[in-house]
Amino acid sequence: MLENFSFRTIVEYLPLFGQGFAATLWLSIVSFAGALAVGIILCAMNLQRSRLLQLPAKIYIDAIRATPLLAQLYFLYFGLPRLGVVLPELFVGILALALNSGAYIAEIIRAGILSISRGQVEAGIASGMTYSQRMRLVILPQAIRVTIPPLLGQAIVLVKDSALLSLISVAELTRAGQLLASDRFMPAEGFVTTAACYLVLYYGLKSLAAFSARWLGVRPIGSRT
Amino acid sequence: MIEFRGVNKWFGALHVLKDITLSVEPREVVVVCGPSGSGKSTLIRCINGLETIKDGDLVVDGQRLGDRATNMTELRTEIGFVFQAFNLYPHKTALENVTLAPIHVRKIARAEAEASGREMLAKVGLADKFNAYPSELSGGQQQRVAIARCLCMRPKIMLFDEPTSALDPEMISEVLDVMVGVAEERMTMMVVTHEMGFARKVAQRVVFMDAGAVVETGTPEEFFSDPKTDRSRAFLSKILRH
Repeated sequence: MLENFSFRTIVEYLPLFGQGFAATLWLSIVSFAGALAVGIILCAMNLQRSRLLQLPAKIYIDAIRATPLLAQLYFLYFGLPRLGVVLPELFVGILALALNSGAYIAEIIRAGILSISRGQVEAGIASGMTYSQRMRLVILPQAIRVTIPPLLGQAIVLVKDSALLSLISVAELTRAGQLLASDRFMPAEGFVTTAACYLVLYYGLKSLAAFSARWLGVRPIGSRT
Repeated sequence: MIEFRGVNKWFGALHVLKDITLSVEPREVVVVCGPSGSGKSTLIRCINGLETIKDGDLVVDGQRLGDRATNMTELRTEIGFVFQAFNLYPHKTALENVTLAPIHVRKIARAEAEASGREMLAKVGLADKFNAYPSELSGGQQQRVAIARCLCMRPKIMLFDEPTSALDPEMISEVLDVMVGVAEERMTMMVVTHEMGFARKVAQRVVFMDAGAVVETGTPEEFFSDPKTDRSRAFLSKILRH
């Protein structure tokens, strides 16, 4: 079996995978940054008392979570041009990932904020803090700690979801695997290499999360009573 | 300083405060007691607006709650509130806990806030715990930090909601000692507690509540030695039996 596996071809294609790796990395970073922004805005809207702000956020989050990313991507890529909006494919890809992940991130942040006990909110209120002071000084610093692990999970999902961009011919990692597979008819070599690259990204993200947890000074929170 | 006039409050169908009329004079220490579910906590939570009242008037430091002109956020800076569950900020050290509101709400310079924060923590017996996180402190220590946190705002009124109920017995007296100290500095205080020793020592008046109503008020001496109603007698016989 292994005698048919051509490591030489993989080495030959390494520059292509290098480019794919770099593309997946940077477009994931940009998408995740966008997703964080989308998520924070959605979550802020969702936590307001005003229905006018809450409802659009809820509908958006449901719509995104209920539909496949591929359908959303195809809508933006094939649908929008027919409606007169033509965007470059890379931009469409990043937009789709950011809009999609943003909905999930909004829920992650909301769960983090709601996990902070009512007593913390009341302590802030009782000491005369305004809503934004309570958020900034009391709630968010604690919520960030509990949101790091699920945010890492979402970042990993986003990196893997970015593979779908190969379908709108964005030159990223999975696209590199497809090229090797179709040029030389070597799908095993192509996709194993692709998978290995994703694994490297995965471990990179994991150590980044561990580092940021330390940097934020995350310590076990728990008060004795 | 605090005046309830015909205050009513409902939680859904439950009538939790029934026609409360009660006033607390400046520098007076009032202890509120009564069986659980009698509305004591709700009563003092109304004073700083953690609960809102349905009808009647509640005037605190000359300002009527619920009026447009009354700025609750500002009023709350004048009212310290000590919770049963302490509610210290777990991500902040003891010193950061006591300086957070002075710096961000009172807008006091950090150095000045820290100096008075250290002084206040030392006063409650925690001079060696400035940099400890709440999770590293015992319950009694946490509650003393919580009291210091309120005092650092230089409030006009201090409210205590069952401050020793969550504590192990051996830690109760260290918290009560701090509260006695606050009372001796002539703070206006309203304290929900069953600590009768504390009431006898510093309270000018005891208010007994049952089923959402104020049933009896009197000096600690009158109330403990000669309760006037059946309900207060029944209550006292239960808590003083042991």
